[in-house]
Amino acid sequence: MAALTEDEAAPIVRSHLARQTLVFAALLALFAVAFVVSLCVGRFSVPAGRALELIWLGATDPWRELTTIEERIVLLVRAPRVVLAALAGAGLALSGAALQGVFRNPLVSPDILGISQGAAFGGALGIMLGIWGFPLIAMVFISGIAAVILVGLIACVNGRSETITVILSGLVVSSMFSAVVSLLQFIADPNTSLPAIVYWLMGSFATATWERTLIAAPGLIIGGVLLWMLRFRLNILSLDEAEAQSLGARTNRERWLVFGLIAVIVGSQVAVSGIIGWIGIVIPHASRLLVGHDHRALLPASVVLGAGFMVIIDTLARTATAAEIPLGVITALVGAPIFAMLLRNHYRERNGS
Amino acid sequence: MIGLEDATVRFGSRTIIEALSFSVPAGRTLAVLGPNGRGKTTTLKAMLGFQQLDGGRRVAPDIVGYVPQTGTSNQRYRALDVVVMGRAAHLGIFGQPGPEDFGIARSALDRAGAARFADHYFDRLSGGERQLVLLARAIATGSQVLVLDEPAAALDLHNQERLLALLNTLRQPRDKAIVFTTHDPNHALSSADDALLMMPGGQTPLFGPVAETITPEHLESLYGVPMRVVELAGPSGETHRAVLPAFAGIRAA
Amino acid sequence: MVSLTRFASRGLLAAALSSLLAHGAAAQEIVFKDQENREIKLAKAAERIVSIVIPMASTVIALDGGTKRLVGMNPTAKSAVLEGILSKIFPETKDIPSDVTAPNFVPNIEALTATNPDLVIQWGGRGTDIVAPITNAGLNAMLILYGTEQLTRDYMTMTSRAIGKPERIKELVEWRDRVQKDIEAKAKAIPEDKKPTTLYIARALTEIATTGTKGSYNAWYMELVGGRNASAELNGTVTINKEQIAQWDPEVIFLNAFEARLNVDWVYNDPILSLTKAARNKRVYKMPLGGYRWDPPNQESPLAWMWTANLTQPDVFKYDLRAEMKTAYKTLYNYDITDADIDGILWIKEQSGSANYAQFKAK
Repeated sequence: MAALTEDEAAPIVRSHLARQTLVFAALLALFAVAFVVSLCVGRFSVPAGRALELIWLGATDPWRELTTIEERIVLLVRAPRVVLAALAGAGLALSGAALQGVFRNPLVSPDILGISQGAAFGGALGIMLGIWGFPLIAMVFISGIAAVILVGLIACVNGRSETITVILSGLVVSSMFSAVVSLLQFIADPNTSLPAIVYWLMGSFATATWERTLIAAPGLIIGGVLLWMLRFRLNILSLDEAEAQSLGARTNRERWLVFGLIAVIVGSQVAVSGIIGWIGIVIPHASRLLVGHDHRALLPASVVLGAGFMVIIDTLARTATAAEIPLGVITALVGAPIFAMLLRNHYRERNGS
Repeated sequence: MIGLEDATVRFGSRTIIEALSFSVPAGRTLAVLGPNGRGKTTTLKAMLGFQQLDGGRRVAPDIVGYVPQTGTSNQRYRALDVVVMGRAAHLGIFGQPGPEDFGIARSALDRAGAARFADHYFDRLSGGERQLVLLARAIATGSQVLVLDEPAAALDLHNQERLLALLNTLRQPRDKAIVFTTHDPNHALSSADDALLMMPGGQTPLFGPVAETITPEHLESLYGVPMRVVELAGPSGETHRAVLPAFAGIRAA
Repeated sequence: MVSLTRFASRGLLAAALSSLLAHGAAAQEIVFKDQENREIKLAKAAERIVSIVIPMASTVIALDGGTKRLVGMNPTAKSAVLEGILSKIFPETKDIPSDVTAPNFVPNIEALTATNPDLVIQWGGRGTDIVAPITNAGLNAMLILYGTEQLTRDYMTMTSRAIGKPERIKELVEWRDRVQKDIEAKAKAIPEDKKPTTLYIARALTEIATTGTKGSYNAWYMELVGGRNASAELNGTVTINKEQIAQWDPEVIFLNAFEARLNVDWVYNDPILSLTKAARNKRVYKMPLGGYRWDPPNQESPLAWMWTANLTQPDVFKYDLRAEMKTAYKTLYNYDITDADIDGILWIKEQSGSANYAQFKAK
């Protein structure tokens, strides 16, 4: 049982580190390319060189007055949209990764807490009442958070909540809200509010402006940074209840802290861009394959991959045809097969080991 | 030190443990003995604070180095990363393990004899190897109390020997209170100072030094099987005691 | 009868209608085929009509020249009535029930039956789920199809037969025909390169939607008056983004009348849309809301075409819209429309800054 010398252990550590560095470099490069390309393409044709020049001008002198249509398209339409898509994708992927850790189940997505359906209710009601702009965003955010609080109230028995109770409560709250959303769709004006609700339920960044991006950014960034700070704690919380407690975690309280942060992130995202499925489940899964399960690597990898993936999807949504393709359609078309593949790999590997 | 004072646990109308008192001071090792279903696990959970008491109280430090039987394996972490989790209580909720914590984790792996697994994935290790890693994690907590849940249950004879040797190495400095559960009285004889026998039929568990508690009579009523204690000569001439069920050595016809 | 003979050559449906006319007057029974080719038999002229179809509610009022026969309508139709001029002309419309259907055309069969209708006007071409409940309840459903001017004339004609006022439709259809032919004749001379691109915004506030040309009534009359649909490449009504509008760079923008809070400032205050040719030339207009919203086909459509024509081709079309409206409202509703009414319908106050809008001001 003699200890190994440093020399013997070092190569493995170095190769592990080298691999992680390589993966992160590749992910960051992918994101950077997606981001820049996305700013250069769109339905309005701006030559790529001109677009790059405009991005440079916009980055170096953000308060410059924008007069030409090219400038405004690149810096007022595309830029906020791409930034918002990146933030939203990062937030959703991060939330999914954290939630899957806390639930010790790689198949849950942030929807499980009822946030999306709660937010959908707020959105549908707001659209029906003819509310739009900032009050609509606020209404969506508040109803999303309210849904999570409701899940908490149902799931907490004697001040504690089992994960299975949380999942089932989330299911209950989700179906309750989605029933109300259906009811609202039933009574909505088929000429105006009904298509707006349906479109909004499928998710879109089509309405992105700097204003909306700035409204969503604080929730996404603060929630994201706090979750990132919890990355080591998430490793602990991903262990069995007894183990986590023995290591000093107050599991119940800390789990709800994570849920709260996820609610803030997803609530902010849904408020400005509607319900976007699949990102929160596919991206963490793919990231796990790339960098492993350790949340200290998984969270940043999910952030970068989620942001890049969302930017690519949204670029497709706004450029493929003259009509905007709802994001939900593309994420499901792309996400479901990827997820099926990951799922098979996951269980094949599990059975193999 | 760790222990229970007058502890009672009931599941509905069934009393699992009643008015149980014992304590393990730093420097001593306790073996909790008994067949399955006598409340060994409940006693362990009560000590660790995972089991709410219906009466009495628990005496324990904030952090107890706990070695579960199997450990979570649905997440893929490197063994070193599993061990460094032992530092969590010192880092606080937003804290991150630094080089110092990894140093502690590596030396804990060393002490547990698991250094060579440091960069292996925990979920790819064998049952015995995992146990060593979990023991290293318990050591890395820095707690003066170690609690092991059936540490030998999943091990073959060779690994049992290694584990007991390891326990004795940990005992040696006499700076820790160590508790382990087992159903083999020989483990208690080899590596414990005190024993807690979970007696049948609602009798009060028997607590005391190994020499006084591990006797043929007590063991017979503990297991419901006639037992013998035999004395064997050790490799360097000293005498070892060993416990055998009375049926041991009877030749098959 | 001239127009009816012309219809007869166009198909089965109209043939059925004209044959019904031949003996319909003698016998009280009215038999005809609806636009899904279903036979409808009425023992006598329908006296109690429910329109689940939104724009048909106000059309029934116009055909009847009053509100007596309309006993139920879509909640969305009712909101148009309450927002528009009809609630002023016929104050009693606010008491007509609108609980007979959900806005999405799924009938509430109990409320519907309670109104005891002789005839229920429902959309065809949208499946049987919204029709079967009506027929199962033993009620007469008349199915109509959306989309073209011809279909509109046909179902308006059919409805006037059903209420036993076949003579009433003649002047309405003749008016449509006359205005359409007049516009067509004048527009024929417009060279292709003098036709501005026009964009109809179907929804703006929550998401931006517009329509392709095929099957779109809005695109049809924009092209009728000498415009070119900027969004011709689309299929149906779909969501688009501002960048796409910038790429099309339409010369005229028409905003829908459905969104009560939408007005031309939505375009002028937008950093992108305000740079389109339409905005720079102040050629952005919100569709009027008269007896019904002027966007979809309805009893006032010729007014909508003339309004669109004067704005799209101001050099070619110089209809005296105020005079036309006075005549039309007298004919349709037997109502002497006031100048203030007209100002309200045409959003004179809101759109006075728009190009070519001064022509609509009271002299």
